[in-house]
Amino acid sequence: METFDVIVIGAGNGGLTASTALAQKGLKVLLLERHNIPGGCATSFCRGRFEFEVALHQLSGVGTPESPGPLRMMLSQLGVMEDLELVEIKELYHVIGPGDFRLDLKTDREQVIAAFQEKFPHEKKGIEDFFNLSYQYAFQMLSAFYFKDPDPSRDKFPLLYQYSFKTAQEVLDQFFRDPLLKCALSLYWGYLGLPPSRLSFAYLAMLFFTYIELKPFHIKGGSQALSNALIHRFLSLGGTVRFNCGAEKILVDQGRIKGVISEHGDRIMSRYIISNVSPVATYTSLIDPEHVPVTVVREMRGRSLSPSAFTLFIGFDREAHELGLTGSMTFFPNSTDITDNNLIEMQRLNMRNPFMAMSCYDLADPGFSPPGTCQVSIVTLKYGEPWLRVPPAQYHQEKFRCAESLLQRLEEAFPGVRGHIEEIEAATPLTHMRYLGHPNGAIYGFEQYAKDSLFFQPGRTSPIDGLSFASGWIGDCGFQPTLQAGVTAAKAVIRELAGK
Amino acid sequence: MNKEIYKEFDGYDRIVEERDYSRKYGLDYSAHKDSADPYFLRLHPKRLTLRVSESLQQTPSARTLRLVSPERTLPPFLAGQYISLHLEIKGIRTSRPYSLSSPPNQTGFYDLTIRRVEGGLVSNFLLDQVQKGDILYSSGPEGHFYYNPLFHDRTMVCLAGGSGITPFMSMIREVLECGLDREIYLFYGNRTLEEAIFHTRLEDLAGRFDNFHYFPVIENPPEGYEGLIGLISGALIKNALGRLEDKTFYLCGPQAMYEYCLPELEGLGIPKRKIRQEVYGPPNDITRAPHWPEEVSGEQRFRISIKDRVVVEVKAAEPLAASLENQGLLLPTLCRSGECSQCRVKVLSGKVYQPAGALVRRSDRRFGYIHACAAYPLEDLEIMI
Repeated sequence: METFDVIVIGAGNGGLTASTALAQKGLKVLLLERHNIPGGCATSFCRGRFEFEVALHQLSGVGTPESPGPLRMMLSQLGVMEDLELVEIKELYHVIGPGDFRLDLKTDREQVIAAFQEKFPHEKKGIEDFFNLSYQYAFQMLSAFYFKDPDPSRDKFPLLYQYSFKTAQEVLDQFFRDPLLKCALSLYWGYLGLPPSRLSFAYLAMLFFTYIELKPFHIKGGSQALSNALIHRFLSLGGTVRFNCGAEKILVDQGRIKGVISEHGDRIMSRYIISNVSPVATYTSLIDPEHVPVTVVREMRGRSLSPSAFTLFIGFDREAHELGLTGSMTFFPNSTDITDNNLIEMQRLNMRNPFMAMSCYDLADPGFSPPGTCQVSIVTLKYGEPWLRVPPAQYHQEKFRCAESLLQRLEEAFPGVRGHIEEIEAATPLTHMRYLGHPNGAIYGFEQYAKDSLFFQPGRTSPIDGLSFASGWIGDCGFQPTLQAGVTAAKAVIRELAGK
Repeated sequence: MNKEIYKEFDGYDRIVEERDYSRKYGLDYSAHKDSADPYFLRLHPKRLTLRVSESLQQTPSARTLRLVSPERTLPPFLAGQYISLHLEIKGIRTSRPYSLSSPPNQTGFYDLTIRRVEGGLVSNFLLDQVQKGDILYSSGPEGHFYYNPLFHDRTMVCLAGGSGITPFMSMIREVLECGLDREIYLFYGNRTLEEAIFHTRLEDLAGRFDNFHYFPVIENPPEGYEGLIGLISGALIKNALGRLEDKTFYLCGPQAMYEYCLPELEGLGIPKRKIRQEVYGPPNDITRAPHWPEEVSGEQRFRISIKDRVVVEVKAAEPLAASLENQGLLLPTLCRSGECSQCRVKVLSGKVYQPAGALVRRSDRRFGYIHACAAYPLEDLEIMI
């Protein structure tokens, strides 16, 4: 019977970095992946002469080579930087709408403040104060938690104590009156899936801080290049990967991990499993119910599933500038609503909901698409559950109908673009369910209310001895957090093995 | 550090209360187990079991197999899509994609129309061995060759060659039977009129519907033949259509047809975005493809070692996926034309030939991944599956 030190289930971001970090320590690692390609969300697909990026929009935490951020340092430690080409994106985001409102933000704090102040002169003081607060909050947060201040207190970190559990909307209301300003300042909510009325201010502050200070990045070749670099590194460290081979069952005996049975029926033994699969699927599909601790069931009950996405991938037979596309990341709010109404809109099958974002990768990386062309991906957030009620026979029609309304919104902003479509593909929440295996196609895992932060939830650990998690489901979601989650999970296993 | 400082943060009690409430009244995830699966099985089944309910001779060399499901409704599809049959012939497990020729407005059955390929393992098996009542297995409907209302013109110009008529038959029947507000021009190339599958049916439809125009194009016509003759040339298309604007062109047929027709369309000034092309399997003779190295003959044999496992010997001119199947090694496959990426494998050492048009991701190329259905060994190889 085959035996490994650690089995990692799933070659998504978290599974890839976990396996590589384990293999670096000389451990015997098996990585199981049910698809034929590594990456999970971090992948791409080809249509005609285009290769479409699936999920990555603005990679956070990288930092410049001179002042590297946590992600750059982590990727260097894993030994994959020489196989990656990271391109700095010079813009924070562009805003188009509602109506004829336009705003262009660069990755420079002074420019961001000045750009907002120019559009909203009547809120000049508030804008300055808001960014001061966000930055000071970020400093205090990092001092207390990232740099692990030995003696934190309310006197030392007043903003941390005061603002951590406030919503973004509460803080925006405190500083501003203009609803358009509040909307334009909180568009990053789409990266987390909760509207500002529910999103923790902490997330908004940290996003502004990290994107402005450490800059957003693009990966040459897209996120698949990162996934391929990681698997390449893992293999060269002697790791074993099996594609087209998921885990069928996790074997547990008296509260302790024993191994897995693979999709092909092989029994493979290991005392440690890192699951890159959602905790929902891990506990309900992979582990027999009698081995699932009641505490786990109780904890999961308190969580809800994040939205999925409806995404359009479009290849044009013109270059970006010829089509008037100037923003590498553009938000298209069609109302200033930052309230819970967004939650209701995300439940609907129509595409009228305010949140719509578009990435045009060619602007940051001119060679991304073939010469004379460019590509965009347009994302809206949608809960997956309503899609399960579309009769299968009407599924294609529904997909075209939703895509059509997004295209109309795009055409309004950039008249004439529709005439240059060469390839188009749409992904619905069902597509995400199918390829990611996430319940309801939840792209961000569990929702991230304040109650769902790691202060209040179990995170990567499990009461089952030897089981841990590495994915966007057990902490913050997004590329940077999930890549880091893998290394964190690996380090914990390494520590445990060393202690024995 | 005191890790629990967050307990002193403003609002902490409220959030604990919120969490505890939600744990009390939240979702039962055990009920969630595989809840979406039944839905996917209706749209994207892992494997379909099909029974041959009819077998209809179309031409001397082509036959339609009508397939029904003994146990379920068949998944919906878009006119132009294909299914991949999973077959075992003479002990070799393999697969082949076939476009559905029946229209998508009903899913009581799927029609596959198969034309004999000289020496073709699968077509001969399906035409000679498969009978009414037999059971076949397949994938669900797949493929990207269909009318896309998001950007295609309402007038479609279809260029078919030989058995490349099948996806068009589905499209034509959908438009005509459902009374859709679209117009179709069909140019159908064959060596002889007898080989033109569905010819009388197409003539009949063209006579009855104003929005369907049928142009058979015959390469070797009998003496005195009055229809269009030769190949589907730019001049012939221009002549029949008049105006070329506001039309989307669709091509399905053998490699030689693409090699001839694509430059013809380009010559007419049709932009790339207006041309849709179905994949059509590997070419008959890969050694005639551009940039095939002269020093390697098609019959040359190479050793393929598969990481940690076996060594097999294969022929240069055969797609790697097919060679491996012959040796009992089955890769997942769908399109068998380099497009769908199912048969992605990594080359650890050795050189392969990959024809233009294989849609391999850039970073895959960089790290040595190939699509085995559209890759040919030029040296001894070591691969990882």
